Amino acid sequence: MARDELVQSAIDNWAPRFVANGIDSNDFQRVSNSVERWDDWCQAWSECGAMHEQMGEQAEAQGHYESAAYHYFHASMAYHFGKFLFVHRPQELRAAHDHVVSAYKKGLPYYDYPGEHVAIPYEGGATMYGILRKPWHTPKPPVVILVPGLDSVKEEMHTYGDDFLRRGMAVLAIDGPGQGEMEFDHAMRFDYEVPIHYAIDYLESRPDVDAQRVGLMGVSLGGYYAPRAAAFEPRLKAAIANCGGYNFIRRFSHLPGHTRAAFLYRIKAASEAEAIEKLSAFNLEGVMEKIRCPLLIIMGRRDRLVPPEDAERMAAEAPEVAELWMFEDGNHVCNNIIYKHRPQQADWMREKLSE
Amino acid sequence: MTRDAQVQSAIDNWAPRFISNGVDSNDFQRITNSVEHWDDWCQAWSECGAMHAQMGERAEARGNYVSAAQHYFQAAISYHFGKYLFVHRPQELRTAHDHVVAYYQRALPYFDFPGEHVAIPYEGGATMYGILRKPWHTPKPPVVIMAPGLDSVKEELHIYGDDFLRRGMAVLAIDGPGQGEMEFEYPLRPDYEVPVSYAINYLESRPDVNAARVGLMGVSFGGQFAVRAAAFEHRLQAAIENCGPYNQSLNFKNRPSISRATMVHRLKVANEDEAISRLQHFNLEGVAEKVTCPLLVIQGRKDRLVPAIQGERIAAEAPTAELWLFEDGNHVCNNIPYKHRPQQADWMREKLSV
Repeated sequence: MARDELVQSAIDNWAPRFVANGIDSNDFQRVSNSVERWDDWCQAWSECGAMHEQMGEQAEAQGHYESAAYHYFHASMAYHFGKFLFVHRPQELRAAHDHVVSAYKKGLPYYDYPGEHVAIPYEGGATMYGILRKPWHTPKPPVVILVPGLDSVKEEMHTYGDDFLRRGMAVLAIDGPGQGEMEFDHAMRFDYEVPIHYAIDYLESRPDVDAQRVGLMGVSLGGYYAPRAAAFEPRLKAAIANCGGYNFIRRFSHLPGHTRAAFLYRIKAASEAEAIEKLSAFNLEGVMEKIRCPLLIIMGRRDRLVPPEDAERMAAEAPEVAELWMFEDGNHVCNNIIYKHRPQQADWMREKLSE
Repeated sequence: MTRDAQVQSAIDNWAPRFISNGVDSNDFQRITNSVEHWDDWCQAWSECGAMHAQMGERAEARGNYVSAAQHYFQAAISYHFGKYLFVHRPQELRTAHDHVVAYYQRALPYFDFPGEHVAIPYEGGATMYGILRKPWHTPKPPVVIMAPGLDSVKEELHIYGDDFLRRGMAVLAIDGPGQGEMEFEYPLRPDYEVPVSYAINYLESRPDVNAARVGLMGVSFGGQFAVRAAAFEHRLQAAIENCGPYNQSLNFKNRPSISRATMVHRLKVANEDEAISRLQHFNLEGVAEKVTCPLLVIQGRKDRLVPAIQGERIAAEAPTAELWLFEDGNHVCNNIPYKHRPQQADWMREKLSV
């Protein structure tokens, strides 16, 4: 089967991520083997999502809530990876997005760690949405804010969240500006400390979590947002940055075509030149040195999207607080070796938030 | 890279099973891409197991018990798939087996649903081993006994177990004769109701589970064992058989060579002819019709090891059977776990709560 370049690129760059974040590996093989043209990508994954959603509805109607949770989560992930980079067809993207959010919400009461879809007051009277889940039997747990990247969303952080929850921490996964529920009306912004600030304000308003012990974890572009927020939001007690870039414009032209298109779409730029101009502010120069809380930097030497040297530079510029875990065999976000950093980072965070 | 026929056969027949039962999909790709000769298979998986075990030890030493559980489980399952069909080198197999059991045991206190490695009195003063895990906050839960097949072991049934546990049922995964901890001294036996009956006796001795509500699930060869046990052990309230053979001797010649060798090894016979002759007894003729408890038959139409028609025959002859036949399912339907695993656990909960 001859695949077009974009389909091949999606598979080459992100295959392990799909599975690590909840796609059944048989589904991944079946669907990615069935799609030849990028134009058909969202449709194929949406059909897969519809199959899972239907199983979820059937299970729920029969009172089989554990099964309903499992199916709805799979549905949400399948729709998500249908739309994650599908910006050239905004209507299809939007339809799939609606299913990501609604299927995940239908699973929320039934997960092993149930949760709530929460509305977080944001600047200018706007609303930011998040998913708050709490560990069992734990009064006022610490909270880890989970931050997605360019093409991920709060729902995709689910399995990361479970790692923290198992260890006694609550998680608040958010869609910030340019992400998920905020990707339609709000452009990505470089000063991500602002959405984090609103998220922590929200946590302070809740009596059931400990807003004095809040950490943050960000992946990919979220790995840039994490140090940025850690530098300017002093209420953060610890942060993890996984494969974030130091400076985004330097390598922009080397990114795969649909990634560049996704940047344009989510930063709300009309052209690549405009995107690059807006991205010039996404730069950690002069920022790293301001960080006062412990910062864990995770990087894969085989990352093809973000140069590993970016992480080394981040660590070098924050020598007092930064700890660098460089994995020689890791790809982007080290999703090909999840057992080498995911449990470990959750343990790291627990330690920092219990101090 | 050119792979020999055995390596290729292990991948072709069982790839989805590795992943659905706990092997990391990146590990699967990396290792199967690195092994050319079947002789190197167990070593490669054992190295993978050792890597996970080392991470487990480090996590445990630091008090990171949740991580330790994950790493030790992945260690056990890597060693397991190293040895599962590696019968031509019994010493390597034995070494890997010891690691399967030991690392799984080290994880047991730390799993989301922790458990115990239990010794079950078996006939002639022998001991059968099992893993008993119980749901949280549930006094005297019902129990699902889980029976592995020709080349699986109690530790491989871990994720199946989680499905039942989440739904309020305890699980007792056993190594019966010819399986795991009993594969060295005891051949496979057709009358699997005997080990199951010892297992239920054991459950009756425990005050913390409800031995009046016991179900059984068996996969692959264990699917036949499940039907057999359901026919003759009337304390069973429900049974699930997944892709079990109706008559194992009929399938023998079409099996991959590594699977035939494994059958010879675990039946404790001298050669394939003896295996075929011995397998005549592993036959559900006149047996399936004796099942009186609810029986769920799960079968994949694309099963290359057990023809789907055998599942249909079991369902046709067992008066209480319900057949779930999946057109797109492979052996044990491991390529579509989401179409039957949650559903079968719901089915079992319903049967055990009546």
